[in-house]
Amino acid sequence: MIRIPRVITPERQQRSDPTGRWVGIAGGVVLAGSAFLPWAYSFAALDGMTLVGYPSPLQYFGMVLGLLVAGLIICSRVIKPRGKIRVGWVRGAKAASTGALVYMAIIILSIAVELGGLINVVYGGWIALVGALAFVGTRLMIMDQPPTLARAQIRPTLEILLVAVVMGAALFATAFALNIDDGGAFVSFVAFLGAFIAVLFRLGVMGFLSGVSERHRKVLILAAFVVAFLFPFTQGGSDANMSIATQVIIFAAAAMGLNITVGLAGLLDLGYIAFLGAGAFTAAVLSRSAFATADIHPPFIVVVLIAGAMTATLGLIIGSPTLRVSGDYLAIVTLAFGEIFRITMINLDGEAGPNITHGSNGIPAIPDLVLFGFDFGKPHVLLGIPLGRFSNYYFLLLVLIAFVILVFVRLNDSRIGRGWVAIREDEKAAEAMGVNVFGLKLFAFASGAFLAGVAGAVKAHQDISVTPDQFIFLESAFLLAAVVLGGMGTVLGVLVGATLLKLLPEKLRFVSDFRLMIFALLLIIMMRFRPEGMIPSQRRQLEFHEEDEELAERIDEEVEETGALKGAGVL
Amino acid sequence: MEILQQLINGLSLGALYALIAVGYTVVYGIIQLINFAHGEIFMIGAFGALSAWILIPGESLGIWQLPVMLVVGMIVAIGTSLLTERFAYRPLRNAPRLAPLITAIGVSVFLQEFVRLFYGRIPGFPDAKRAIPFPQIDYVTGSAIQLGPITIQRAALFTVIALVICWIFLYVFVNRTRLGRAMQATSQDPDTARLMGINVDRIIMVAFALGAALAAVAGLAWGLRYTNIDFRMGFIAGLKAFTAAVLGGIGNINGAVVGGLVLGLVEGMATLIPGTFGGSAWKDVWAFVLLILVLVFRPQGLLGSRVVDRA
Repeated sequence: MIRIPRVITPERQQRSDPTGRWVGIAGGVVLAGSAFLPWAYSFAALDGMTLVGYPSPLQYFGMVLGLLVAGLIICSRVIKPRGKIRVGWVRGAKAASTGALVYMAIIILSIAVELGGLINVVYGGWIALVGALAFVGTRLMIMDQPPTLARAQIRPTLEILLVAVVMGAALFATAFALNIDDGGAFVSFVAFLGAFIAVLFRLGVMGFLSGVSERHRKVLILAAFVVAFLFPFTQGGSDANMSIATQVIIFAAAAMGLNITVGLAGLLDLGYIAFLGAGAFTAAVLSRSAFATADIHPPFIVVVLIAGAMTATLGLIIGSPTLRVSGDYLAIVTLAFGEIFRITMINLDGEAGPNITHGSNGIPAIPDLVLFGFDFGKPHVLLGIPLGRFSNYYFLLLVLIAFVILVFVRLNDSRIGRGWVAIREDEKAAEAMGVNVFGLKLFAFASGAFLAGVAGAVKAHQDISVTPDQFIFLESAFLLAAVVLGGMGTVLGVLVGATLLKLLPEKLRFVSDFRLMIFALLLIIMMRFRPEGMIPSQRRQLEFHEEDEELAERIDEEVEETGALKGAGVL
Repeated sequence: MEILQQLINGLSLGALYALIAVGYTVVYGIIQLINFAHGEIFMIGAFGALSAWILIPGESLGIWQLPVMLVVGMIVAIGTSLLTERFAYRPLRNAPRLAPLITAIGVSVFLQEFVRLFYGRIPGFPDAKRAIPFPQIDYVTGSAIQLGPITIQRAALFTVIALVICWIFLYVFVNRTRLGRAMQATSQDPDTARLMGINVDRIIMVAFALGAALAAVAGLAWGLRYTNIDFRMGFIAGLKAFTAAVLGGIGNINGAVVGGLVLGLVEGMATLIPGTFGGSAWKDVWAFVLLILVLVFRPQGLLGSRVVDRA
């Protein structure tokens, strides 16, 4: 083993700290100022960065990052900590400068990609990049103590107001992001948001916010659904984004079901898409489509229950080998089941088998839902704002995902959920403690499958047609990726993972050919550096870093402070 | 006679599975990793062989090209396999079981997409987004051999012979050479093997390389037999080969070969099942049903005796 000499000694750090500070402030100011200069040669790139004195939205965001870098460094010297409450100014400044550099790199690359070559980046863009290199300066600064903002409390009314404001900001940011048509601009905005959230995290504001949300959980959940409900009204009657939003929700609902099996019970299921498919095919066969093969057409509520029951039974069948096999073998069994499902659906075409699904053509022309006299296919006008077909389905799916989340959270907080955790961490010990291992494993499969089946039934009507090739292995891998990237075992993680995985391909049409490859790379890199996902439950994080004493101690401290493991299930 | 014909077909198909299955079994036997991307290594072996044929000037189909194609295919497959081992799997050696499996899925998708997107961009190479016709080499392919009512494809015969040669080579390698014995020792107990002075990292690389070399043989045989190759061919073939490895008892090299042959025969016989659920449309279903049944009722496989807790 080669011993690496310690280049960075405390003395050298002491010496370089002031230099780093000044470089950082200067860089931040340069970046902020460059927003008034043109960045790109042509107006066609991103959102038009060619004017002197009139920054485009993206240039404003660059300015915000620059001011953040400079401002946080100044704050770190000017504002003294009050009592026990510390803010991580330097940490925030470092995060802001890293974010600014990434942001500028993405902007410059986007300009180069969209206009064909770096030649199209004008002097302002280069000045901004130089400013973003304030990164180097902040790296030289001495790290301050971890923030303790989580301990802070303000008046309850103010806290509730804060929740409302944050939720409103989230709605605004989502609506803004979705209305960006330009792929490069969209990525840049996502990078900006990421940088901004990272800064909040490092400052300790996120700790404060999560404390607030713990104290006002009901308000938060209510606010989240109000915001989700209001979302279609921000679209001004356009159905394009609503179509994406409905797909995101169906995907998220299925991922949440998978999260029960993988995230809670720790059973890897590689054929999960079959459950979504089984639900969709059940609904399609029982629908009033001219191609439906069943003679009875029960009302949709009944269809949903039948689809759920069908898939839950299928889940029981697929789960039954769990008595004998576990781990990798189980993954392969489920993968084989998924393939059997797909091939069977192709073969039930009237030639190789009885005609149920019309083979690879599937069942087209599934009519729109009509519930209680409300036709989901027709546009409606509410409060003077027209809402299209997808908006109608969006509201239905919102109810669905609320139901799914409720089931997930209640299961997780129950005896059953604790039993799953016990099985996941040590099956033999759990059995010795009297946990009904086989029963709970089967229940994990059945409940996960049920949720996917219900989601599939709605999907059939929303997509109009159901074909076997919608349910290939890759889709299972995508669902798994949503769970893994977002964070196993948490609601928020899965929602974020599902949203990113469905949204990015829609917005990144210009790299559509590469999207699978990017996805694969993301999966590999994520497993290498952060296997517990973006928003993990702390218990999961510990499981993935068994040897990390520091993390264990930190979580231990937090547990002592708050009295519970955070993010064991909700948020 | 139909039965005999299907037996022959099944046997040659099984030989292909067996060649790929060895790769799964040696890697699993040593680091307990389901190398999901092994099917893609097989696919890359086939593309490597094809590239060698394209790079040889002229449109010649002489038999002398076969060894060149084979060697190039092997080099490309082994290289890819070692790269994935080094950069994707090795950093996760001590991670929880879920992490390397998900990485393997990522590697699998990555390799498929890499070939699909970039193979055609090399000057002179065909676009890999569609199936590419594979060169039909003299003697090895061509008019089928007729034995009375039974038809034997030349490529099928080539596959079976290749399997026999590889099996003999494997037997000698594993049982008679130092490296092979070190491999056995590592698979039985990696910690003790390390104490005995065996370089475990090197043995793991040898396992990956060995699997990749045989997968390249299978890739070439596949191209000759099915006359075209595409970037997706590794997925189902890999899944079947894994089934074969499990069927024979994972970790057991002879088991992989026997499992491959049995699986091939079952698929051949499944096409003979009369009635609604028979015929070639359902043969994949029967193969997977067999996999599930074996995993449930005899998880140690046909030849396996070791019962290891694979949680």
